[in-house]
Amino acid sequence: MTTLTANATLISWLDSIGPLHGWAIATAAIVSACCAIVGTPLVVRRMSLLGDAISHAVLPGLVVAVLLGAQPGGIGVLIGATVAAMVTVWFTRFLYRQAGLWEDASVGVSFTTLFAAGVLLVTLSGSRVDLDPGCVLYGILELVPFDTVDVYGWDIPRAFLSASFVLLIVSAGMWCTWRWQLFTAFDYDAAKAAGVPTVAVTMGLLVGVSLATVAGFVAVGAILVVAMLVVPAAAAERLVHRLHHAVWLAVVIAVVGAVGGYLLAWRLGTSAAGMMAVVLGVEYVIAILVAPDDGVVARLISKLVYLWRVQCEDRLASLWRAEESGQARHEDTFGGLVNRWLCVNGQVRKQENGLVLTPQGRLNAEVIVRSHRLWETWLGRHVDLPVDHLHPPAEWIEHHLGEQVRKRIENELGNEDVDPHGSVIPREKK
Amino acid sequence: MIHLAVAIAFLPYNTLVVAAGVAAVGCAAGVIGTFGVLRKRALVGDAAAHATLVGVACALLLTGQRDLAVLLVGGLLSAMVAIVLLVLIRKFTRTRDDAATAIVLSVSFGLGITLISGMVSRGIPGSGGLERFLLGHTASLTATDALLLGTVSVVGVLCIVVGLKEATMVAFDPDFAAAAGWPAATLDLVLIALIAVMVVVGLPAAGAVLVTALVVIPPAVARQWTERLVPMLVIAGAVGLLSALGGVVLSSLAVQVPTGPVVVLVATAFLILSILVAPCRGILWRTRSVSGLSSVSLTKTEVGAATPRVMERKL
Repeated sequence: MTTLTANATLISWLDSIGPLHGWAIATAAIVSACCAIVGTPLVVRRMSLLGDAISHAVLPGLVVAVLLGAQPGGIGVLIGATVAAMVTVWFTRFLYRQAGLWEDASVGVSFTTLFAAGVLLVTLSGSRVDLDPGCVLYGILELVPFDTVDVYGWDIPRAFLSASFVLLIVSAGMWCTWRWQLFTAFDYDAAKAAGVPTVAVTMGLLVGVSLATVAGFVAVGAILVVAMLVVPAAAAERLVHRLHHAVWLAVVIAVVGAVGGYLLAWRLGTSAAGMMAVVLGVEYVIAILVAPDDGVVARLISKLVYLWRVQCEDRLASLWRAEESGQARHEDTFGGLVNRWLCVNGQVRKQENGLVLTPQGRLNAEVIVRSHRLWETWLGRHVDLPVDHLHPPAEWIEHHLGEQVRKRIENELGNEDVDPHGSVIPREKK
Repeated sequence: MIHLAVAIAFLPYNTLVVAAGVAAVGCAAGVIGTFGVLRKRALVGDAAAHATLVGVACALLLTGQRDLAVLLVGGLLSAMVAIVLLVLIRKFTRTRDDAATAIVLSVSFGLGITLISGMVSRGIPGSGGLERFLLGHTASLTATDALLLGTVSVVGVLCIVVGLKEATMVAFDPDFAAAAGWPAATLDLVLIALIAVMVVVGLPAAGAVLVTALVVIPPAVARQWTERLVPMLVIAGAVGLLSALGGVVLSSLAVQVPTGPVVVLVATAFLILSILVAPCRGILWRTRSVSGLSSVSLTKTEVGAATPRVMERKL
């Protein structure tokens, strides 16, 4: 019943979004896909901050283009912004190469300079450039549906058209140069030596970044474009290992962030651009938590699994030692998760006087005890340690010695079959 | 220099106040920024600046008053949180340093915009135009603001002077500092916190981009002229001061010119000039004495080695 009501609410809510929001959402999704496609190689190549720099530095390019008579949202503006982005990149490289500045400092110098020039140009040109700094910094996604062009009788928002155009260029460019991008991203010098035109590849990537940035300008503004460029890529590369998988995943993450951010912002009555960045941030946090190889959750799980294995193996070994010394079971109670697990696993059996090892369990326990005693013997022979100090290291390493290592230690020890405490070392059994 | 002094002497009172405030920030940011740049953390200040928006919004929401001091405290707290997050991301994930900076910067800025925009749409008094906090309004700096900026700048520079040895150690070789028994991680955090304080305090006066520029460009200029730390600190402070004064004077000559961008452009002009004419490293110098031993051409591989060379200063 509740689900029904919830569904009805959801449907009526989606219904009330209407075509205007639909256009805005579609534009945001396309823009974020563009950014994710070019952002992934950018992040992998440690050039994220160049994305930040370009997004600030396209401002003077936009202003000059508009001053020269280009129409806002048209091709002229795209070209102007791309030229400005190239100037930024050239200036950054000049500072890095010629002035011996550090990489991040070069980026910092070039983007602040170009942004300052842009702000100055906007102020000086006064009313001739209709460029609101608010629009530059925060975007005007909410107003996208109202600025439309007539395409064969359809009213299509201008921003949607230019974003789709950019998506087409960017994805086609990526598709055509993919192998080169891949090679350059992972080993610049090897790619260069192999005859890949690395400079052209890098320039192509940066042209793509500036196109995506300009498309993103309208939707989310200069600074939040950085979120779209970097965050999905950084999240995706935590989750998968192949670059093309990362690109696809980044696109998915970016589109989810854009659509989710817009809907949330609309529901909560706040800025869509800001909320998109927040949703992307949340997605990034989730990614670093659940990343399969080095995520927080993965590390926790592997730690717990290890601790559990150590517990089980220690229990088996202590049962085996009790059996060896002919004691009755000292483990009288059948409590504890470890015992239950070993019982389910078929390694121990419950009897009236306590737990006993099954043949399988005995075999496993012998391996542990064998590792333990071999190591004690080896330490006793090669390391100058008192006999009562041999146990702790062996207690730890018994969980880590493989069959090969045990064999080599045994060969090395010769026909020694008693450990320093006088206990017999069990033989390896198949 | 004399022209500058004369020009300053004849400035109207308001411009004088602005000049004093911005000059103080410029000088202190140059000195403190030197350590940021040496530690390859030039853009940490930028991230901190963008993160202040969250704290500013929260401060307004909690206290309900739009008082500069309250907003600054809020901004400072959130900038610190952002920096701690940055350090955590660098330490516990394999995300690259530059990507981590970009993520913290853009996501915290987005959160700030979201908060402020939500507050505006709910009609919370005082929230209108709060997002312009990051743009700064240099021209409307009051005497009280200038005094606050001056105090913080002096305290910041004093901190560096007092802890010069420790700061040098941590800036050049944190591993060695830790091995020698210094609390390297804490000192490192203190250095970053100093940068954050400087950036946040400078924000209302100068805006995020100008503050970032003042933290990065003067040390870059100083790097062209010297290989040693103390001269580098002095030159960076002086360049920050001069570009701030020059920018304020230049922008006061015309009516409609914003101060912040002009200060940045003056600082960049200093940098370009230094890259051209600085002894040994300058481009002109290098092309003129191609065969001379005095020319140290800085090849790509040497750029990486540039940092240790400054370290030759005896500790």
